[in-house]
Amino acid sequence: MSGLWPFLVIGLFSGSIYALASMGIVLTYKTSGVFNFAYGGIAMFCGFTFWQLRDGWHISSWLSLPLLLLVVAPVMGLAAEYLFRAVITLSAEIQIVIALAVLAFLQALVPIFYGGSERSLNSIFPTSTFRLGSSLHVSWTQLFTLLLAVAAALALSGLLSRTRLGLATRAVVDNRDLAELNGVSSDGVSRLAWVISTVFAALAGVLLSSTVGLDTYSLVLFFIYAFAPAVLAKLVNLPAAFGWALGLGVLQSVLQKYGSSGNVADFESALPYLALFGALVFYGNALKEIRSSFRTITVSAPNRDPRRFAGSVAAVVIGLAILPLLIHGSALGDVSTALIYAAIALTLVVLTGWAGQISLAQFSFVGIGAFTAGHLAGAGGKGFLWAAVVGALIAVPFGIAVGLPSLRLSGLFLALATMAFALIMDTLVFPRNWVSGGYTGTTVARPDIFGIRFTGTLSFYWLSAILLGAYALGASLLNRGPVGRRLQMMRDAPLGASTFGVNLTLTKLAVFAGCGAAAAFAGAFYGAMRLTVDPNDFAFGASLELLLLVVLGGRALVPGGMVAGGIYLMQLLPLSSTVESYIPLGVAVGAVALAQYPEGPTTRSAEYMRYFSALFRRRPLRELTDGRLVPIVFSSRRRITSEPAEVADAR
Amino acid sequence: MPAEDPLLSVREVTVHFGGVTALSRVDLEVNRGTITGLIGPNGAGKTTLFNVITGLVTPRSGRVRFDGTDITGWPRHRRGRAGIARTFQRLELFGGLTVHDNLLAAWEASVPGAVLGMRRGEGRRVVDEVIEKLGLGELAGRVAGQLSTGQGRLVELGRALAARPRILLLDEPSSGLDQAETEHFRDLLLGAVGRESGEPAVLLVEHDVALVMEICDRITVLDFGQRIAEGLPAEVRSDPRVVAAYLGDSDAA
Ligand SMILES: Nc1ncnc2c1ncn2[C@@H]1O[C@H](COP(=O)(O)OP(=O)(O)OP(=O)(O)O)[C@@H](O)[C@H]1O
Ligand SMILES: [Mg+2]
Repeated sequence: MSGLWPFLVIGLFSGSIYALASMGIVLTYKTSGVFNFAYGGIAMFCGFTFWQLRDGWHISSWLSLPLLLLVVAPVMGLAAEYLFRAVITLSAEIQIVIALAVLAFLQALVPIFYGGSERSLNSIFPTSTFRLGSSLHVSWTQLFTLLLAVAAALALSGLLSRTRLGLATRAVVDNRDLAELNGVSSDGVSRLAWVISTVFAALAGVLLSSTVGLDTYSLVLFFIYAFAPAVLAKLVNLPAAFGWALGLGVLQSVLQKYGSSGNVADFESALPYLALFGALVFYGNALKEIRSSFRTITVSAPNRDPRRFAGSVAAVVIGLAILPLLIHGSALGDVSTALIYAAIALTLVVLTGWAGQISLAQFSFVGIGAFTAGHLAGAGGKGFLWAAVVGALIAVPFGIAVGLPSLRLSGLFLALATMAFALIMDTLVFPRNWVSGGYTGTTVARPDIFGIRFTGTLSFYWLSAILLGAYALGASLLNRGPVGRRLQMMRDAPLGASTFGVNLTLTKLAVFAGCGAAAAFAGAFYGAMRLTVDPNDFAFGASLELLLLVVLGGRALVPGGMVAGGIYLMQLLPLSSTVESYIPLGVAVGAVALAQYPEGPTTRSAEYMRYFSALFRRRPLRELTDGRLVPIVFSSRRRITSEPAEVADAR
Repeated sequence: MPAEDPLLSVREVTVHFGGVTALSRVDLEVNRGTITGLIGPNGAGKTTLFNVITGLVTPRSGRVRFDGTDITGWPRHRRGRAGIARTFQRLELFGGLTVHDNLLAAWEASVPGAVLGMRRGEGRRVVDEVIEKLGLGELAGRVAGQLSTGQGRLVELGRALAARPRILLLDEPSSGLDQAETEHFRDLLLGAVGRESGEPAVLLVEHDVALVMEICDRITVLDFGQRIAEGLPAEVRSDPRVVAAYLGDSDAA
């Protein structure tokens, strides 16, 4: 038993940090309905800012800490509130993508602002230890962190229970519209909540980075741990979030004690993800999406002109055919990767764009396909096609597993569940040696299909183009046919669809399984392109990026998937490192612009092109544009029709 | 005979939402080839009763029988395929699909195998017929999400008809329509009900009492979740409890 105490101390320390973070997440969700996926990014950025202030510019702790907590964090909080207020009524995937874009933006900003993406930060508290009892050593940092978390929780609960502001907050949480009617400024409440939440993020960031180090990537991942206690508290109950966070920290740390063997160690890091997944599935419908009102985006009628279709297909085919004349070598290889990436993106167009099911786990399926191909395709690529098919079949039960939460969850909560699934795959499945060969990776042979070997860069390029062509054609046919209609029925009005005879359970599971299998099939080619693959290639971040690019490209359109591949290609091109560091920034700014143009640039540019081509014709503009385009150009907001909150009378 | 063998019968259905009793031991019958009216003040439980019939709400007790079969425990989609089609008071259109595709999708959902591409010609024929009958030709290519509420109600009706229903449940189909549109709608409805063949029968929730009295064969009246009257329009009109429920609203409030 006595051996357990040190782990308890460590657990309370990390639990305290999770507690700050999960309370911060709950607070903004409660008051504004935004689940802040960028929370870790804000914490990370604050950590770097503190490093710059204290260690970079040598401003004393006594000044730099207040500067961070009272100036920088509140300003960031207000900026975030301003940004998210604009998107609160948009669909969940847009909200998520914008939060992800903020995250990417902050990650890209750090090296530009602070000249590096890794730092080591000393604790703000003394690191010396004192003895508790006979043998237990506790550092002052650990003690003060716990005290700080407790103090923050008490201050927050005091604020919410004793003051008029607390009353206003509760009114807003209960019913935003009613609160507004009674003269409570819900914007004021949500601004304050964002400020407090960001201050908590800054504290947690500074505290955490002094023990796990300060870098733009892993620090952000660490904060995903705090999602679990937040969801366990149903995203509204602050004391519960605090309690679950401490419990999670302690449990994780105790597992660490027994964690010398590999399995337990993996389980320890997977624990928060398992808890997150379990909580979401368990609570199911009891989780409440807090929205003042829904706005549905009106989409314009799909252009079904066969000539136009044939024209764009011809343009793409000709473009792909002459490309190898212009570029070769590794650049052509990059294009092949992007073509396969676009094929993968199309599976997400079907799943998210048409069926309305958000998935943050699509790259896990790509991984399943790639590793299967690595194991099963013989040397020289014999049997590659079979290996790809087997990979697709293996992906089916996994697809059903991700699909199961979708039976009870949608929107934000489904996104969180799929995210947890991807992270569980990352920690428990992919690192296994027999799955992936561990972090040294697996080699995947270039395919030999029907006796044709696609080993060289050029031949593999053709193969990738054929793959994308097949996927694009398949998706277009699907969209025009009954299956596409069925998916869109389910997306637009699940209640209506089910009363007309659509079996939602079956349809959801089938679309998750089908899109997973398609992604896995393409994954075999993705693996063959890279030659060796390891678990990092399919980590959760890759799935996030895929969703980001697909939404940015236009999630409801086949060309949107191709645009996603195009943006991906830009990131691969050999550019100077300065330009490269600005690309994520560009992507982030583009994604934020989505708040204005939720349908993605593809639809928009099609509309603009119609508009401009109309200018050069002699037909009246109105006729060509349904009289709709002029208001679109001048006020995009106008097109968003506002509807009262769907209370889903019947669920 | 219709009176002995109703197409739809609801027996003693009770529904609670938390502390609210939305329906308490409600009975309802719809005979083949007829229009049955379901009226009552706001919050009487009309929409809830529709939700019970279509499977969106599970009743605490009571049974629903359709064409002699007990369907109380059936999942929604099975009821849809069995021939129960409805419109929604709060529109539930497939906003991203065109009007034409809304109708086609409803037909496909109600016909086994249609999602795999079977009987495609028949689907197009049915949809074209309904579009023709309702005069939706102008709107057919428009995206449903861009329609006005009035147009949306018409499309909801068309969608329900395209599903080839055996019974048609209409939830306030004329609300938001102007005088001329309402008259147009009344004619459509009278044309839609299968007087001869017995199908579809219609169950109509409607606030326009004059319209209900005019076109319904029988009327059921709900108030505070209870059935307070049932009978021919003339009987219901003169029923003192109905008069009290409608006029007495202000006393109760
Ligand atoms: N999902 C729900 N949760 C809680 N209460 C509900 C729900 N749906 C309906 N109710 C309540 O049940 C009662 C009956 O509502 P219902 O919508 O069936 O009435 P209605 O007769 O259709 O009224 P209206 O004429 O306004 O459409 C009302 O008191 C309503 O507030
Ligand atoms: Mg109603």
